[in-house]
Amino acid sequence: MRKFVIQQFTGLDDSTVQRLHSLGLQTGSPFWAVRFYPFHGPVIIQADDQRIGIRYTVFHTLIGG
Amino acid sequence: MGLIVNIIIIAAIFGFAGYQIYRAIKRSRQGKCAACDYDCEVKRMADKAKKKAF
Amino acid sequence: MTTVALLGNPNTGKTTLFNELTDKYEYVGNWTGVTVEKKVGQIRHSDTVVVDLPGIYSLNPITKDESVVTNYLLKDKPDLILNVTNASQLKRNLLLSIEVLELGLPVIITLNMIDDLKRSGHYYNLETLSKSLGCPVKTTNARSKEGLEQLKTELIQDNVQVNANGPLKLNYPLMVSQAIRQADQALVKDYNIEPHFAHWLAIQFINQNKVVRKYAKTHQLKPLLSQQAYYDAQKFADQIFETRLSFIETTLAAATEQLQSTQHVELTSKIDKIVTHPVFGLPIFVGVFYLMFKLSFDWVGTPISTELDKLLSGPISTWATQFLTQVGALPMLRSLIVNGLIAGVGGVLVFIPQIFVLFACISILEDSGYMARAALVTDRIMEMIGLNGKAFIPLIIGFGCNVTGIMAARTIEQPKERLITTLISPFMSCSARLPIYSLFVAALFPRNQAVIVLSIYFLGIAVALLMAKFYHVLFKVKEHSVFIVELPEYHIPRLDIIWHGTWDKGKGFIKKAGTIIFAGTVLIWLLSNFGVHGYVTGINQSFAANLGKILLPIFRPMGVTTWQPISALLTGVLAKEVISSSMMVLFHTSNQAALIGVLSGSFTTLSAYALLVFILLYIPCFATIGTIKSETGSAKWAAYSVVSGLVISYGLAFLIFQIGSLLA
Repeated sequence: MRKFVIQQFTGLDDSTVQRLHSLGLQTGSPFWAVRFYPFHGPVIIQADDQRIGIRYTVFHTLIGG
Repeated sequence: MGLIVNIIIIAAIFGFAGYQIYRAIKRSRQGKCAACDYDCEVKRMADKAKKKAF
Repeated sequence: MTTVALLGNPNTGKTTLFNELTDKYEYVGNWTGVTVEKKVGQIRHSDTVVVDLPGIYSLNPITKDESVVTNYLLKDKPDLILNVTNASQLKRNLLLSIEVLELGLPVIITLNMIDDLKRSGHYYNLETLSKSLGCPVKTTNARSKEGLEQLKTELIQDNVQVNANGPLKLNYPLMVSQAIRQADQALVKDYNIEPHFAHWLAIQFINQNKVVRKYAKTHQLKPLLSQQAYYDAQKFADQIFETRLSFIETTLAAATEQLQSTQHVELTSKIDKIVTHPVFGLPIFVGVFYLMFKLSFDWVGTPISTELDKLLSGPISTWATQFLTQVGALPMLRSLIVNGLIAGVGGVLVFIPQIFVLFACISILEDSGYMARAALVTDRIMEMIGLNGKAFIPLIIGFGCNVTGIMAARTIEQPKERLITTLISPFMSCSARLPIYSLFVAALFPRNQAVIVLSIYFLGIAVALLMAKFYHVLFKVKEHSVFIVELPEYHIPRLDIIWHGTWDKGKGFIKKAGTIIFAGTVLIWLLSNFGVHGYVTGINQSFAANLGKILLPIFRPMGVTTWQPISALLTGVLAKEVISSSMMVLFHTSNQAALIGVLSGSFTTLSAYALLVFILLYIPCFATIGTIKSETGSAKWAAYSVVSGLVISYGLAFLIFQIGSLLA
């Protein structure tokens, strides 16, 4: 598992940002990337003891694009 | 006598069947809640409210 | 009568709690969107009514089912809100709690799934939490019924004393709190709105809550509307979020206690290592389904069905005939009851074991938490057709019944994606189609029953996905739904929850046997015993035969050589189960074994498969058509689903039979 820190939310659509916020994530929140699916499929991340699946593009944006 | 009983039973079966088909068609017009076979609390309350309205 | 509203994030065990509290079970699932409408139940020995609302992440809704909650709070005033939280994920759960506490209604917070928290080695000081949030905080574990009795007493009690201090007030940044104060004062003064509610409205409006903004527009709340541009330009919403999150962090830091023993058994990660594997995830997903069908068709379901059929066609039919003859029933009535109702309705009822096993499997998948993983492993494929993994769940639920599948599509945010999911839902092979598959596979594919049925199911999925791609291009979908799935902790499925889920899904089937299947059977009996000259002795002169024979030329290219299946298909629109009972009546067979014999004589494996494909995809049943109409809000889409189903099913069945015949 690799550790990352959320760098930014810019570039994501409002609903995605809102949902990520609702899950308690904000700029500066640390998280771990648990699993990557092939062909740039979804990524499982872990933050605050919860596991969430997100799209690769969202993941890519969060870690700074 | 036997004939009458027979006819009554046949009429009851057909009557019930006809009513069910009529209801199925009518329900499909009303859509989701009525079409669902689950008789939930919300539905019962809605029905009650409808009856009161009349 | 007091009303308690259950409110909380998805996957907090809200519906389980609801079922435990009200002694009435409702549909429970470990997947977002199982509760698509609010549900109402009563606490036993009290006049307290509990309302179960859909799980939400925030009062600002993204999806259709989430807006149910905000609308409920705007219109109804529950006497008490029970905020159910997942104890191990309190940080984000409290984001919602704050929004609720700001409303000023009496709130009780319960930390549910408290055992998960204990296992992780933490605990919270409830008093500290209660003090800083200003409301009572309880702990429960709905699955093991821990803490439920205390909670129940609490709920039945008079709740006037609960948060007597009024709504929770956070220290928002100066500019924000000034804006809130100005707005709420104006609302109270000019619009006569109750102060707590005005305060909450102002916060929610500033926080860009879509439903509240719409509410403000319809009620012409000028103090809010006039400032909207200013609020947004100043990014007040972000500031509100940050204030709330830091309040939560401080509160939790003060309340956290470490437990001594930290025997952290990571059951969930262990299972997830396997089932969410990047490469094996998909094969496992297929395997899970294969297992489901093996259980229904080969191992458990079919053997029991066969026994039931023997009972029905043997002792029960014989006894009924004897009885009817003794009491002097007319031959016509005898034929109606024995050859029509017992053979037809009974012929469908014998499939109860198969259908219940299948429903039990779906319930286990829902309750265990696997559905979220299924969404994840299928996302990459769904992305290719322009949907996302979450759309897979309504489709899987559609295996039970297309109506519930379409209802579950409400969890999809984007309207066009929701429409696409609704339109492809009827291609999912619902359980009502199972009896007819079962008859055909028993007749023509006795050795490979599960595989053939599985292939039909996957064909349904394939057609659905292809059509989705087609619609995606056709509708020029640009925006996309949010794909963020929470992976909840696995639960060991609890037997009673599984049973309730199975019964809830399955009882509709039994009820249908007494209503619409009964009616369909009577109808087909009538059609097959009456002709233009009245009561006929030979079925070949009946209306059913006339109708079937007229349509036969159309069906011949897909391998149908007799008229009976065609007439049966027509009645199948009432409900798909009726196809089986109609076949029973039309072929004049009194039991499953006899019908299987007739079928194997009048079909080849190829024509049987083509017909199964046709049955899979043709016109949806009445209930589904009605649901499509109400969910899309237009009769056009309902009509479209009928036409598209017919065209696709005919085309595919035609191709399969023609190409198959060439190859053979």
